[in-house]
Amino acid sequence: MKTVMKNPNGLLVIASLTILLSANALAGDVRIIANPSVNAEAISASEIKSVFLQERNSLHDGTHVEPVLSKGGPTHEAFLRDYLGRNDDALQNYYRSLVFTGKGSMPKALHSDAEVVAYVAKTRGAIGYVSATAVVDGVKTLAVYQSENDGARKLISRVEPVYPGILQSNHIGGTVRLKVTIASNGRVEGVELLGGNPILGEAAIAAVQK
Amino acid sequence: MNTSNVGSGEFTDFGANASVQVTDKFRIGAQFYDRNIGEIGKWRPAVDWAYGDYRFKNWLGIRGGKIKTALGLYNDTQDLGLLQTWAILPQAIYPLDLRSSTISHLGGDIYGALKLPKKLGTLSYTSYAGGRPQDPHGGFVLALASVGLTMHSYGGWVQGEDLRWNTPVKGLLVGASFMNQHITGDGVLTGSSSGITYLSGLLKLPVGSLEREHSKKDDYYQYYVEYAWRGLRLDGEYRREFRDEWVGYWEPSSTTMAVTFDAISDSRAWYGAAAYRVSKRLELGTYYSRFIADWRKDPSPPTNHVYDRVASARIDLTNHWYAKIEGHFMNGYGAFDSIRGFYGQQNPNGLKPGTNALVVRTGFNF
Repeated sequence: MKTVMKNPNGLLVIASLTILLSANALAGDVRIIANPSVNAEAISASEIKSVFLQERNSLHDGTHVEPVLSKGGPTHEAFLRDYLGRNDDALQNYYRSLVFTGKGSMPKALHSDAEVVAYVAKTRGAIGYVSATAVVDGVKTLAVYQSENDGARKLISRVEPVYPGILQSNHIGGTVRLKVTIASNGRVEGVELLGGNPILGEAAIAAVQK
Repeated sequence: MNTSNVGSGEFTDFGANASVQVTDKFRIGAQFYDRNIGEIGKWRPAVDWAYGDYRFKNWLGIRGGKIKTALGLYNDTQDLGLLQTWAILPQAIYPLDLRSSTISHLGGDIYGALKLPKKLGTLSYTSYAGGRPQDPHGGFVLALASVGLTMHSYGGWVQGEDLRWNTPVKGLLVGASFMNQHITGDGVLTGSSSGITYLSGLLKLPVGSLEREHSKKDDYYQYYVEYAWRGLRLDGEYRREFRDEWVGYWEPSSTTMAVTFDAISDSRAWYGAAAYRVSKRLELGTYYSRFIADWRKDPSPPTNHVYDRVASARIDLTNHWYAKIEGHFMNGYGAFDSIRGFYGQQNPNGLKPGTNALVVRTGFNF
């Protein structure tokens, strides 16, 4: 993601934004976790859906994965709502249709976040979900992003950085790098200047925080 | 209207399966299935499916063995009452008595799922080929027996494709299936001991004459749509089956065919269904199903159609135990070879245009 600023003299000021979506970017109450054998650091929402519907058994990087379910509870409901788009009855029926036709298996389902974490930690390729506040020792948390194919990442509003007068008058432009953390509701939770002219950086930070 | 005060418990089935994920990409499994539906089934346990499945990539996998056939929304899951609202699926497309003609094949599948670009959803495909299992106790054989032809074998080759699109609209699935069969059969005109010599008289051939047939063309074209939103589920399917079957009869003492002809039919079937999950324990639904035995002829006579209006309630007593109660209000019974539940053997006094049925069904799964 880039913020581009043109000055009257034709100089381009580009603020490169490193967007780090937190693990709960899509579902505020759900954290996607995986066994450390899973190479990927991030996963798309559509991949999650395909993995849990057993349409695919590997991620985009080729890592074999095995879905793990929670048995009921608000985290489970949030996961079904936000990622699978079906209720628990429909999901169970879906799995049964796979089992009774031999085209899939019933995923492991566990009662608590602790059990899910423990199982995922010891099972190669396991991928599951727990509440955002769960202790996740021994597993990795996967960042979740909307697939570029889903087209769900939308620009809500665009704010052009103000070109600082002192730099403009001296024909000074440049590129700055920012690390921006965005919450699931689109609110900017944090901005950190990683490089570039500090005055331009201030202008870019002010823009992304609006 | 046919009336009967006598209920029947002759509608019972049972299945059990096991599967093992041998490696990340390879799994094997098998399922046994047994059913009793009057003259059809009668507790003859069989291997329902048994195969190995190797998935190279998400978009490419192969299966080999006895495999449930992908045809429309419910062909491969039609036995699984636990999955469905209905006690009996729409018989226009999923006739209980013709189950064996489409349920599985002994051969191989190539399958996969492709993620489409630009938020167009997912496309799943299956392509298959193999032998259609023989079913000496199925509806087709029973129907032919009702007119005096006893089949010794009836089976053959089948191949087809299924393409289903999980659209970007959440809960909307659309798909199409095609299946081609090449069937061969051998039979004999039945003797008077069976009490049925209709075909023998019609063909003016002695009892004991032999019959042989094979498909010149036997194609299924099926299109389907399903939409689910919260507790609501809507689905509908359309199927055309075109059959051109060459049939020949000869006397055992002769080396030449006495009678040959093409038996051609062009059946059309569709249904529309709606179900709503009222609560965790209760689901209500209705469907309307239409079957035209031969589209080229006037559909209005009861010999050329079966229409069925259905109202159903499903009660989930526990997570593993359900009960269903369902009313069927049918019109028509189709031709003797329509195979939609009406047989001469069970209706020796003939058939009337209207049939009402109350179906109560319960099931368990573990």
